[in-house]
Amino acid sequence: MISCRNLTRRFGDFTAVNNLNLEVDKGKICAFLGPNGAGKSTTVKMMTGLLAPTSGEVKVCGLDAAANPLELKRRIGVLPEDLGLFDDLTVEEHLLLTGDIYGVPRAESRARTTQLLHALSLEHGRRTFAASCSHGMRKKTAFAMALLPNPQVIFMDEPFEAIDPVTAKIMRDLLQSCARHGVTVFLTSHILSMVERIADQIVMIRKGGMVWNSPVGELPQSLEDHYFDLVETPVVEELEWLGPSRS
Amino acid sequence: MARAVAILKALAVAYRRDWTAFQSLAGNNFFLITAFLLGKAGSFVYLIFGLVLLFPLSTDPLRKIPPSRLALWPLERGEHWLLRLASPWINPLTWGIAALAIWGIGRSVTVGLVALIATLFAAVFLISAVPLPHGMGLWRRVPPFPGPLNQLIRKNLREILSTLDFYCALILSLAVCLSRILVPNLPREALLAMTVLVVAAMSSYAQCLFGLDGEGGLSRYRLLPIRGWRLLLAKDAAFLAVVVPLTLPLAPLAGLGGALVALAVGHSPAVEHPREQTRWRFSTGGALGNGLIQMVAIAMTASGIYSTTLWFLPLAAAVWAASVWWYGRDLERML
Repeated sequence: MISCRNLTRRFGDFTAVNNLNLEVDKGKICAFLGPNGAGKSTTVKMMTGLLAPTSGEVKVCGLDAAANPLELKRRIGVLPEDLGLFDDLTVEEHLLLTGDIYGVPRAESRARTTQLLHALSLEHGRRTFAASCSHGMRKKTAFAMALLPNPQVIFMDEPFEAIDPVTAKIMRDLLQSCARHGVTVFLTSHILSMVERIADQIVMIRKGGMVWNSPVGELPQSLEDHYFDLVETPVVEELEWLGPSRS
Repeated sequence: MARAVAILKALAVAYRRDWTAFQSLAGNNFFLITAFLLGKAGSFVYLIFGLVLLFPLSTDPLRKIPPSRLALWPLERGEHWLLRLASPWINPLTWGIAALAIWGIGRSVTVGLVALIATLFAAVFLISAVPLPHGMGLWRRVPPFPGPLNQLIRKNLREILSTLDFYCALILSLAVCLSRILVPNLPREALLAMTVLVVAAMSSYAQCLFGLDGEGGLSRYRLLPIRGWRLLLAKDAAFLAVVVPLTLPLAPLAGLGGALVALAVGHSPAVEHPREQTRWRFSTGGALGNGLIQMVAIAMTASGIYSTTLWFLPLAAAVWAASVWWYGRDLERML
């Protein structure tokens, strides 16, 4: 469902993504992991047709993402890094807008909106403007917008960050339900415990290059240990000035 | 004391960086006209100029610090008082009023004027310190529109209603309504001139249609499977939904024609040189040339429709439609 061949993106002298080869099958949840600045968001942007690759190709739902961006956008749902919300629309209006733009019949769009608001505990804030929403509400709104048109592939950039545990569980269950219904999910995240529970496939990227790609069951050790070994080792620095006896 | 001084210094830097009130005037068509007319106009234009200028300048600088942060800092009661008393002096308008007051000592005519300005300043200063209920403003209650662009048009309309351009145009329009009641035989030329002025007051917004969408909004536009011309259409529909009612008591067809050409000229800077805008400020258009072309086009189209023939209206509509199509393609590339 997602296929990258020698995918490369350069910004001047800087190579953000280098020769990435990747396949994600239908109905699978693929977690794309790496530190900040590793090239995750750039890869997602190329997969969603927002950024043209410097070389190589990416196909989603059988469509070349760079050549058919509009047709591709009709088939995918995206939770972008910045959530992509309008300050001047309410939570409910965002969902209705999505239905209108994706051509979902009005009655069906309203029904799906009601269901999603209920499922994500957003009913109380349905008439709240995005500018006045908490970060969690904003994230849930963007999540609901990605699901509402019933896409074939869902791209999620850090869906579980900065949300409460109950919402994270609901979102996880919804994504797993999507996968059971044949929807492919491609997500990036820094919350490794969540990734370990949800993902079928783990891909790790470091400095633009892929360093690991396997089903989750084939990891040689815990995901956290493997991540620290392959991607980056945490170094804890001692701050000697901390403590009650110092000024 | 040192803590309060440090906060005041930081406040001064933040206030200077956010000094958009004056900057926004520089690229605003209405102020180009006002500056041009000022020498010839009566007290009415002075009054509007003063009011709209005073409004954005009279905010409390201490509001730059989030109240939660101010409450967390270990400040003594005296330091809080010092901040309260000293922070208004970061605003240059406070110095201006003080200078005016000193200059006015002994001149009985100016005392009343200084008192009026100081009262207005104090009122806006105090009003700006009152926290508004989030998202409940009347300006956000806009009606639904038919068709799939409904929510986009409503959003765009709310954006327009959060600029000072709209309120400036509204004051002008209401003033003409009042004049028509008080002076039944208002000259035809006056209606045309005021129509041009109302459309001109709104026209800078047509040069920065995407300025209030923010990064999040632009990001959503990129993700939506929608053609560029439809995005522009939603923007323009909201603009016309504001300008047409404002010109209804004036010369509505001339106003519609003027608004269409203002949009047609404004698409180029709006799409190719997008400028981020600030809410509750005047819109800042593109280069001076764009503003001048817009002004000439508005004046010619409006006077053509009003004084010569209505055929200028379909012509303006055709130019606008071509511009929507052309810059819609551009928009897809730019996004």
